[in-house]
Amino acid sequence: MRAFLQRFGEREALLALGCVVSGLVFSILSPYFATPDNLLTIARNSTELLLIGLGMTLLLGIGGIDVSVGSVLGLAAIGIGRLLEAGAPPALAALAGPVAGLALGVVTAFVVIFGRIPAIVATLGLLGVYRAGIFLALGGSWLSGLPTGLTNLLAARVFGLPVSVLVIALAYGAIFIAVRLTPFGAHLLAIGNSEARARLAGIGVRRVQVAAFVISGGLCGLAASFYVATYRNVEMTIGATLALEAVAAVVLGGTAVTGGRISLLGTAFGVILLRLLQNGLLLVGAPSLWQPVLTGLLLLLVLGAEALSRRLPLERLRQSAVGAAWRTGAR
Amino acid sequence: MHTHSKVALLAATLLAVGSSFALAADKKVAFVPQIIGIPYFDAMEAGGKEAAAKFGVDFIYQGPVDTNPVDQMQIVQNLIDQGVNAVAVSVLDASSIAPVVEAAKAKHVALFTSDSDAPKSGRALYVAQATDEGLGDAIIDEMVKRVGEDAKIGIVSGEATASNLNAWIGFMQARAKAKYPKLKLLEPQFAGGTAQRAAQIATDLMTANPDLKGLIGVASTTCPGVGQAIETAGKIGKVIGTGYCSPNTARAYLKSGSFGYSVLWDPKELGYLTVWAGKQLIDGKEIPATTTPDGMSHPVTYDAKTGILLLGEPAVFTAQNVDNYKF
Amino acid sequence: MRPRVSPILAILGLMWVVVVAGLAVLKPTAIALSTVTAVLQFSTILALVALGQALVIVCGGAGIDISVGGMVSLAVVLAMLLMKAGLPGVLLPVSCLAIGLALGLVNGFLVTRLRLLPLIATLGTFYVYSGAAVALTGGAAQSGVPGFLLPWGRGAVRGLPLPFLTLALPVFVAAGVVLHATSWGRWIYGMGFNERSARLVGIPVDRVRLTAYGASGALAGCAALVSLAWLGGGRPNIGQNLELTSLTAAMLGGIGIFGGKGGVFGVLAAVLLLVTLQTGLLQLNVNTVWQVGIVGTILLIVLLIDNLALIRRTS
Repeated sequence: MRAFLQRFGEREALLALGCVVSGLVFSILSPYFATPDNLLTIARNSTELLLIGLGMTLLLGIGGIDVSVGSVLGLAAIGIGRLLEAGAPPALAALAGPVAGLALGVVTAFVVIFGRIPAIVATLGLLGVYRAGIFLALGGSWLSGLPTGLTNLLAARVFGLPVSVLVIALAYGAIFIAVRLTPFGAHLLAIGNSEARARLAGIGVRRVQVAAFVISGGLCGLAASFYVATYRNVEMTIGATLALEAVAAVVLGGTAVTGGRISLLGTAFGVILLRLLQNGLLLVGAPSLWQPVLTGLLLLLVLGAEALSRRLPLERLRQSAVGAAWRTGAR
Repeated sequence: MHTHSKVALLAATLLAVGSSFALAADKKVAFVPQIIGIPYFDAMEAGGKEAAAKFGVDFIYQGPVDTNPVDQMQIVQNLIDQGVNAVAVSVLDASSIAPVVEAAKAKHVALFTSDSDAPKSGRALYVAQATDEGLGDAIIDEMVKRVGEDAKIGIVSGEATASNLNAWIGFMQARAKAKYPKLKLLEPQFAGGTAQRAAQIATDLMTANPDLKGLIGVASTTCPGVGQAIETAGKIGKVIGTGYCSPNTARAYLKSGSFGYSVLWDPKELGYLTVWAGKQLIDGKEIPATTTPDGMSHPVTYDAKTGILLLGEPAVFTAQNVDNYKF
Repeated sequence: MRPRVSPILAILGLMWVVVVAGLAVLKPTAIALSTVTAVLQFSTILALVALGQALVIVCGGAGIDISVGGMVSLAVVLAMLLMKAGLPGVLLPVSCLAIGLALGLVNGFLVTRLRLLPLIATLGTFYVYSGAAVALTGGAAQSGVPGFLLPWGRGAVRGLPLPFLTLALPVFVAAGVVLHATSWGRWIYGMGFNERSARLVGIPVDRVRLTAYGASGALAGCAALVSLAWLGGGRPNIGQNLELTSLTAAMLGGIGIFGGKGGVFGVLAAVLLLVTLQTGLLQLNVNTVWQVGIVGTILLIVLLIDNLALIRRTS
């Protein structure tokens, strides 16, 4: 058991345990929680955040961040919606999402890395620009009740599994392989630990950073395809809460914002735990207004408990903390 | 390169400004919505423009991009400072409007409310689409017609801080208590500003209450979420969705059957009446108790004691009549 | 160890002149005392909060305070609830300040004692504070601000709003004095610039940092007080979006995100530029959508200029 835990990673195990325990508590308190339909609902609610969180994991891994992810999803969703309205084939619309996301990812990467602006500031600026773009593109009329073609396409089952599950598994699998089995992962972590040392070691730092931002953009676009398929509408405030939720889920999952440690599985568990709590609390009749408070407390508790339990020499911790979070794109 | 971008920026500003210049002699009426970029307030803008052309005034439409009352106040303050003659506000927060009411009085600008009121603020009058009570009653009465008295109804609202939405919910609860004692209204849930969260909450409410008969989306952002959630859950016919949303927003859901009806007034007419009221205030004319403004098809009523200028009864849209409306 | 004098103040000043000149050409009537009053009135809350944000960032250690808006909202709500529970109205200013300070110290505690990364710690408290402010009140605005506060909150002397004149300005001057003329200031820049050497030379880094987070909270408390005295009511989401706007103002004002760089007057200049720009665009009746995009663009442009200037000098 101990060996298993070590291999599994303590944080992932903790989150999995958290999901199971809160799941058990909710199923005792509400007869409707542990039903196939409801579990499917939780899975569906998690889809976008799972994809966006995956990209955010890579970004935090290199000591970057992107606070504009929600608006990237929004812009891509408008593109998809307009295509559907114009009668484009659903498959084309579905592909338009990731393509638009990749393009916006290139823009973000360009501004952050070639403009040498710290990621958090650069994406804050881009957030404003993208938001304005969403307003202008929608021009006061929402897209609602979009054609169901895309919905049917993405609700189809392949080998008995919903497309969304397959796509998410593929995305996580591909990035897992890239991180674990190719130099990309080692480079990513090296940059996260120390950009200067990574550069000295001859790693193509910029290439890896650009890749991380572009992949994250593509995943936001992919999330947009699923968003439009599920909700069939695009309104002005689309995605406004996603960036902070994604950061919360990724950090909860054990990825260090100081860079140098990432956990894909942790991110997935983090997202599912957040969505599971949102769903379960409503099912047992807890007022929805308190949910943000619980999200915050969860974040502080998990990280605080870990901080208390790990007895690292303080000096080492400080070295890694100083400035590292904002390193990407600067100096 | 940087001077270039600055020049470009300025040029963009100039371009954007160009259209708003008009004859300085015209009286100016402004309307400040709660948020821009949503179909409802865009329709009010269209109505306001129409009335402005008809009555020979300039019309300015300017609102915040978030439902943020301080941003809204800043906009109102600037309209007062630039010398508009009357300004109408769809108030986000009745408690925080007081400073601009004072500023308007000091500059002899007629400040009045439209669409959402601030009753004790000292505003000149309130252009009401319908009374808050009438809206709360209508949505509950129509719901009971469809699901019967013995039913459980869920409420999904937007921001918990929106005073007009909370007033409607209050009257829904009062109506249910007074007239339909068997009707069970669940505690309102708040989705914030996004349709996504509204859809999630609506789904969870249906799961938690398998005997749920109806779902009311109070904010217009929550309507698509509620409608979509009912469709996705396969509960069309079992759960009746509704909300205060425009025919354009509700059309797809009315047609699919996930919405039984939608309650709203014609926001374009409300925008028209707002500018008309602004013109009356500028001209210093008394508004009679019942009158039909030029260009409107039906009379409106004015209660001088409360200062409420009432557009009329709210309209109920259904799958049958929705195509007659284009807003 | 000396803070690098940034060209940012000059850039901001130039932009401000461009904005005002543009406004003067396009709409001469807008150049009036009432415009000055409006700009300063709407700058006050943002200026106070942005100052706190700047202090936290300058101290380094990846410092940032995402929870500023949450602190303003919760300070407003708790202060009003305390008054309803029987606390005399006279004490409202004190309670706002004390609550803000306490909330800020919680952040400081999480960062300096638990050694959580500031972004994460304050993201957590952002959710807790802003969520609690709305949940405690059910979203309802809290009325009943004592009448003696309103003349201060809404008054002006020679067109200068009292909250700006008597609170924001003195606070900025005090912060400037502390940063540039006391050993605390040298400590702050020193630890922000290089924390390791700061520790080696014996600067009480943790104590200074805890104080900075406390100060950010206290400034949020001041902002809460201004909002109460000005609006005459307590709104549970008054701090909405302040985390992002204050960060924008601090970055625009030349505060280096890595710490140890930038001064408080740059922040004040940035706040004034932002609000002047907003006011100018509103006076010209430009759609507010453009504001969002223009502010984002300006942030990027100013940082690019700053970067290029830095590169040119070092090469």
